Amino acid sequence: MSLNKNNLTLIFFTLCITLVSGQVEEQRDSILTQDLDEVVVTATRTVRQLSSLPLPVTLIPKTQLEQTGVTRLNEILNEQTGIIMTPDATVGGGEGVQIQGIASDYVLVLIDGVPVVGRSSGNLDLSRFAIGNIKQIEVVKGPSSSLFGSEALGGVINIITEKPSTEKISGQLSHRMATFNHHNSNFSINQRKEDFGYSFFVDRLSTDGYDLASGDVGQTVNPFDNYTLSGRLFYDASKKLDFFVSGRFFHQDFDIAPSTSMEQDWNLLVRANHDPSPKTNVQYELYYTNYITDEESLDLLTDEVLLSNDFNQKLFRPEVRFNQKFGENTLTLGVGGNLETLQRNLFADNVSFFSQYVFSQYDFTPPEGLNVIAGLRFDNHSEYNSQFSPKLSARYEISPSLAVKGSVGSGFKAPDFRQLYLDFTNASGGGYSVFGKEVEAQGIRQLQENGEISNLAVNPSLLGERLNAESSVGYNLGLTLKWGKLTTDVNLFRNDFTNLIDTQILASKTNGQNVFGYINRERVYTQGLETDIKFNGIKNLNLSGGYQLLFAYDKDQEDSLDQGEVFAREPETLQTVRLERSQYFGPENRSRHTFNFKVFYEIPKWDANANLRVVYRSKFGLTDRNGNKLLDDFDNSFVDGYSLVNLSLGKTLFKHYQLQLGANNLLDFRGNNPLALQDNEVLINPGIQLFTRLNITF
Amino acid sequence: MEAPQTGGQGQPIGGPFTKFSFETGAVTDSETDWDIAFRGTSIAVNGGTATGTNEEPARNGNAGATIQNGIFSDITNAAGLSFDQDAAGSFAVPAGSGEGWYNYNPATFTVTPIPGRILVFRTHDGKFAKIEIVSYYRDAPAEPDAFSDESRVYTFDYVYNPNEGETALE
Repeated sequence: MSLNKNNLTLIFFTLCITLVSGQVEEQRDSILTQDLDEVVVTATRTVRQLSSLPLPVTLIPKTQLEQTGVTRLNEILNEQTGIIMTPDATVGGGEGVQIQGIASDYVLVLIDGVPVVGRSSGNLDLSRFAIGNIKQIEVVKGPSSSLFGSEALGGVINIITEKPSTEKISGQLSHRMATFNHHNSNFSINQRKEDFGYSFFVDRLSTDGYDLASGDVGQTVNPFDNYTLSGRLFYDASKKLDFFVSGRFFHQDFDIAPSTSMEQDWNLLVRANHDPSPKTNVQYELYYTNYITDEESLDLLTDEVLLSNDFNQKLFRPEVRFNQKFGENTLTLGVGGNLETLQRNLFADNVSFFSQYVFSQYDFTPPEGLNVIAGLRFDNHSEYNSQFSPKLSARYEISPSLAVKGSVGSGFKAPDFRQLYLDFTNASGGGYSVFGKEVEAQGIRQLQENGEISNLAVNPSLLGERLNAESSVGYNLGLTLKWGKLTTDVNLFRNDFTNLIDTQILASKTNGQNVFGYINRERVYTQGLETDIKFNGIKNLNLSGGYQLLFAYDKDQEDSLDQGEVFAREPETLQTVRLERSQYFGPENRSRHTFNFKVFYEIPKWDANANLRVVYRSKFGLTDRNGNKLLDDFDNSFVDGYSLVNLSLGKTLFKHYQLQLGANNLLDFRGNNPLALQDNEVLINPGIQLFTRLNITF
Repeated sequence: MEAPQTGGQGQPIGGPFTKFSFETGAVTDSETDWDIAFRGTSIAVNGGTATGTNEEPARNGNAGATIQNGIFSDITNAAGLSFDQDAAGSFAVPAGSGEGWYNYNPATFTVTPIPGRILVFRTHDGKFAKIEIVSYYRDAPAEPDAFSDESRVYTFDYVYNPNEGETALE
């Protein structure tokens, strides 16, 4: 059952011809049924039709996940408008998701509505999440703390798993091979029988990793293997009461002998859904999750332990939600608590938090054509000041083909464990120290007693003063225009951040190094425009394009520039020059322009499909290199704009066998990292990755 | 100008400071007629008291230092500035990356002068001078390499007003 290569070329060729000639054929109207399918739950925590929502929401359906042949969450998100996976500024760091120019630290990630934990320096590694047994991925852009609390500033990503629907046992077994000795196998099985249903999923991924910097020791991504196991049970006790239990386990080992690095994540969710009357719905939810990393770096020659980092985070969260319908209107009330603990060897003691919250939302349609959603949440916390998070959004349908929508909402992010409790002195890196807010006073006192402090940079009475949550207000104003088979969405956004937590120098040490602490300081904004255009006027062909224009700046840096207090050194002459506002590039890792273009084509008579996706991002900077604390024209740290082209071809054989072939980064873009040391080359991307996948469904 | 030091990296820092006199515009061995002195990234002034570090010179003048933010040529007068002196546990020119005159980049291990930081000094005998440190590496390379370029070698621009009682620095 090998697939002839010429045949594949032909498929693609046909696709191009179709595109060029742009022939329009009559077809039955399938848009209506598609739209009805497209319901999301993340925007309101109730089931809502995507097209009727007053908020910017991106929906990634199952067909897109399947046809693109992606295996991990980060890969598919990177192809969506306004969503970028950004490399960490440091070589070898992970990738973070950026939405509306807002970094990964401020994006909440959920599976079936409950949050995943386990961030490294604020960054949640989305390659941990296998794409399998997923119904769809929903991304709500802009702040949603009025419903979800902490971390929902830039947006919320919700992975919705699939429910079994057939009496017959169904499932799938697949294996995918790709460049870098990538092997990914998975198996799933689902069944729904009367009032009982189950779904199980197993996934294994291993790869040799790759290296972007050939000049140094070690690899950028080390070889690893990981396993994901998940199981879900569904039970309808009666017409009015059903239960849902879900468990997920993830384990990953890096092969970096003699050092070790392990990551493990598991979660358990129990949910009861009760409908005492057709208009009333109550959901009771218990959620527990545990994230562990154990790392130990050994010296290759002496086996001496250079760095040991053990991290064990637990979250327990009970929540109750109540929905009451009044005609077309829905009232939502919720109450819950978060009990979090963290054991980490870089912290003086084990730490735990307890926070409680209540939220409410009213979703109503005052006159016909207008929909208003008003929400408010209150979070009470033991370690930082309490938060009120309101949000108001509205959509008005001017005509069936034109609607306007707008929202204003607030978001916040609680200071994390690191910012509160870190107690770290880097022995190998020269001996600097970092203290979290809750331990800084004691830490400084200890260092003073040891005679290690040469100069205190802050007023000692201010040490240990409480941190505020980082917060934002987000504004979105958009238009949806339907014109025949063409749908256009345009959204203007602005996010104002205050109280961002930055590091500050608390003191200098007698060894010449500094002691760092955390402070609420930075004020940043991101604003711009995002637009999505979809066209499905050609039979079996879906075309879509997206563009985001982004301006992101630090307000305090802008003020300093206006006052002429920022300088740079001309690299050749070493002359100092005063910087103008126009020479300020904005925060690191922000591209002014990002663009995507996608073609999905189905060929029913061959039972085949093909798709081509192009993602472009314009120039961005990695870090300040000339010591003036901002990215400017004199910093030699800019990566030129580049495109990634991904291609995937699929064909079904004998009804149950799907064969897929493709290439990610088809044009073999590699790029050049400007931070590479002299005479070294560091790449931006490891280059073309070919893959093939065989999937057997039953 | 070389400013060697011994120790560091967890070892006790030592070695004599390299003393500089604005009046002669040169390095000096004089115990009294010096204004500022360099060792590694530390800058001492001949005013105040000993900081307590090893092998530091005795202070016997009335020198002081202050850090101004600006273009070298824009800092035209020392009038109205308040000057700090060395004291037990602290230099008048603050030590530490980002605080005084330099940034230390832990990724490339380089020390680079913070652009726009101008050090204004009152000399040991009450006259005024300003300096801008341009490089910490021999021959002031545009992009110093911490492994191949020799460090603890200062290149700086300075303006000294030798006239008693005058504060102008142009």
